[in-house]
Amino acid sequence: MALRYSGYVGKYLRVDLTSGKISEVHLEEQLTRLYLGGNGFGTKILWDEVPVGVDPFDPENRLIFSTGPLTGTVWPTAGRLEVIGKSPLTGIYGDANAGGHFAPELKFAGYDMIVFQGKSKKPVYLWVEDGRAELRDASHLWGKGTWEAERTIRKDHGDGGIKVAGIGQAGENRVRFAGIITSGRAAARTGLGAVMGSKNLKCVAARGTFDVGVAKDEFYDYAYEIHQQILANEYTPSTSRYGTLGLVNPMNEISRFPTKNFQRGDFPYANEISGEILEKKFLVRRVGCYACPISCGRTVAVRDGPYKGTYTEGVEYETINALGARTWNRDMASILKGDLLCDEYGIDSISTGGVIAFAMECFENGIISEGDTDGLKLEWGNPEIVLELIEKIAKREGIGNVLAEGVVRAAKKFGKGAEYYAMHIKGMEMSAQDPRSQQSYILAHITGTRGADHLKGFPCIDETGYVDAAVRRYGEQYLPEIVDGLSTKYKPMVVKDGEELGAVADSAIVCKFGTHFPPAYYWPELARGISLATGMQLGIAELKEIGERIYNLQRCFNVREGIGRRDDTQPRRILVESGTGRAKGHAAGPLQELMLDEYYELRRWDKKTGWPTRAKLEELGLKNVAEDMEKMGRLPARGKRRR
Amino acid sequence: MYKRIALIENPPINTCVGCRTCESACSFWHERAFNPEKSRIRVTRTEYGISYPITCRQCFKAPCVDACPTRAIHRNAETGVVLVSEGLCIGCGLCVERCPFGAIVLHPDKKVAIKCDLCGGTPACVKFCPERVLRHIDVNVAAQGRRRSWVESKVGGGA
Ligand code: SF4
Ligand code: SF4
Repeated sequence: MALRYSGYVGKYLRVDLTSGKISEVHLEEQLTRLYLGGNGFGTKILWDEVPVGVDPFDPENRLIFSTGPLTGTVWPTAGRLEVIGKSPLTGIYGDANAGGHFAPELKFAGYDMIVFQGKSKKPVYLWVEDGRAELRDASHLWGKGTWEAERTIRKDHGDGGIKVAGIGQAGENRVRFAGIITSGRAAARTGLGAVMGSKNLKCVAARGTFDVGVAKDEFYDYAYEIHQQILANEYTPSTSRYGTLGLVNPMNEISRFPTKNFQRGDFPYANEISGEILEKKFLVRRVGCYACPISCGRTVAVRDGPYKGTYTEGVEYETINALGARTWNRDMASILKGDLLCDEYGIDSISTGGVIAFAMECFENGIISEGDTDGLKLEWGNPEIVLELIEKIAKREGIGNVLAEGVVRAAKKFGKGAEYYAMHIKGMEMSAQDPRSQQSYILAHITGTRGADHLKGFPCIDETGYVDAAVRRYGEQYLPEIVDGLSTKYKPMVVKDGEELGAVADSAIVCKFGTHFPPAYYWPELARGISLATGMQLGIAELKEIGERIYNLQRCFNVREGIGRRDDTQPRRILVESGTGRAKGHAAGPLQELMLDEYYELRRWDKKTGWPTRAKLEELGLKNVAEDMEKMGRLPARGKRRR
Repeated sequence: MYKRIALIENPPINTCVGCRTCESACSFWHERAFNPEKSRIRVTRTEYGISYPITCRQCFKAPCVDACPTRAIHRNAETGVVLVSEGLCIGCGLCVERCPFGAIVLHPDKKVAIKCDLCGGTPACVKFCPERVLRHIDVNVAAQGRRRSWVESKVGGGA
């Protein structure tokens, strides 16, 4: 039966790569009401279909490309793609999200989502065009970088409007943090590119001429209003002008800028790798994702020096930190070159920088030596070493083959106390927020459902103290602590709210630029926009419940895989060592457990185990999930009130 | 004089960024649905990140008008807007071939020529363009602005 909600196409694809069978499935009303789209759809499918303990590289793992009801409309930032699967890096729930123009094209081509399972015998790509889909031979694309593969497909089909999302050599080689790339935009984290590689699936190419309709014409005017609201936000101009790199200097000033593998939170040469330098020396043009009023992306070029000729799209704050300060590298041109390599090979620059910094610190401490590193001297701050290691990781050569496994596995291999330098949470390398200087991140990193991550809770309010936004969102009663980066007070509330808002943003799908930072719009606008698009008449409470449902189901997926409170922890270094600058004297240790207690209480999860309770799951309509968890012995004991 | 859609950039900051918000807005204004293939403005993005929006120039000696065998395309003498009469269009595509800019295309469902009609006076693309580089302007007036910024940059505008 046709779906009665607008915004969606109402159909999705099931692709069994083992048999080559492709089927078209109607989107069920129930799924849209309970899980909204993108991230929600993927979470539900993963929970239902990927059995406990399955190896992420097993054909039984699913890989889901999903859009949401706002994708392809003129709603600001409605161009994002969500990819979901079990992560080969962490062994738990994994997702990643990319901007660009691919996701709208998939909808114009006639599908809300694609669910891949199985494993193809030979390399293939999926070609989707106007309500038809077929698997095509990709042997000529295998071994090619992502940009090159895209260009080849556009040329083969003779259509420049084709949008492609796929893997490079790193995904083919199952680098555990390989990403999925679309025109230099990356769904990078959790290694879903390696899952794609394990299925022998090179990419998805889409082209379409179909409409995306909305329930109410008023949607168009309302979307315009929200565009203006984002443009008028006080933090938008600098985000537009410098992209995420606008953060480099401010974050360095508050010592939130991870340096030398988190030994420090400030980098004395931050000025040399800032947004201002990028604009002055390297900027070619700014670049925007579909329907985005911010356009944080940019094309940059290196015009002289050893990296002359480097031409790359969209270097981000995270990449600048990971390939820069994290490894003590102050050479901006080399970072841009590194960014290009990460995009072309298809690897997550955050994990890449993380694992390189880890190796450098192990080298410094004599845990590994030139005998382990193919003769390379892994000294801090050497740009040539950073670039060489990127190549080796992507190709899994020598030391690169060890580092391609991520910091946890590499630390096990190195031994001799190397795990102390493995800066990860639940197996994923940490992103560029030193939590000692912004304490909301002590919590946000460890409760992120995909491991160490800034993009689940994404608490920005206390970064440098966004008072106006805090008042607009939470009222005056929480000032001043709520905007104080060195206070944990009210942060569990902020993190929980951000996680649910994020789950909805990733399902709608919109960029967190707008919902989280700049904090330009919030629950009321999202509820109204989604309602006008779909015709669902969603209230704020109902929308929040969808976010909470998604987040709880992700947690259950992880608990089912063995995750519990003991895994919700920062690495030891963050717990015991003091931060620098404003974070001097602040280690996370004494604060973490207090924040966790408060967070679990807010979530109504069991404080001892960190597991969602039956009461919470039933309240969210997840009774079946509670039953399953009980059968597995992963439901907190009933009756006894834990306070 | 006659107004058209013009691109007024001020690099490196204010340029077309290729967000295609204009395409999305245009399609909805004309079609009540989002579909870039039905947009009357099209953004071309090169491999090197250059983006450029193209829409009808409302030519004075319009090649599309001359090409049309059924006289479906005409130029409104008062407003200067070149318009397609859907009822007369046979979808032969000659206008599409002749337009030097690729600014006129065939509608994917209706198979008739579609092109920018300036939305009857308040173009949706101009309204939505977040970079504010799209203008609905008389090109000669736009040239005034160009002259001023050129003079200021080359000759100097003060301190
Ligand atoms: S469609 Fe092309 S040829 Fe016709 S008036 Fe417009 S720009 Fe000129
Ligand atoms: S809306 Fe403006 S910036 Fe965006 S593609 Fe169109 S002309 Fe370019």
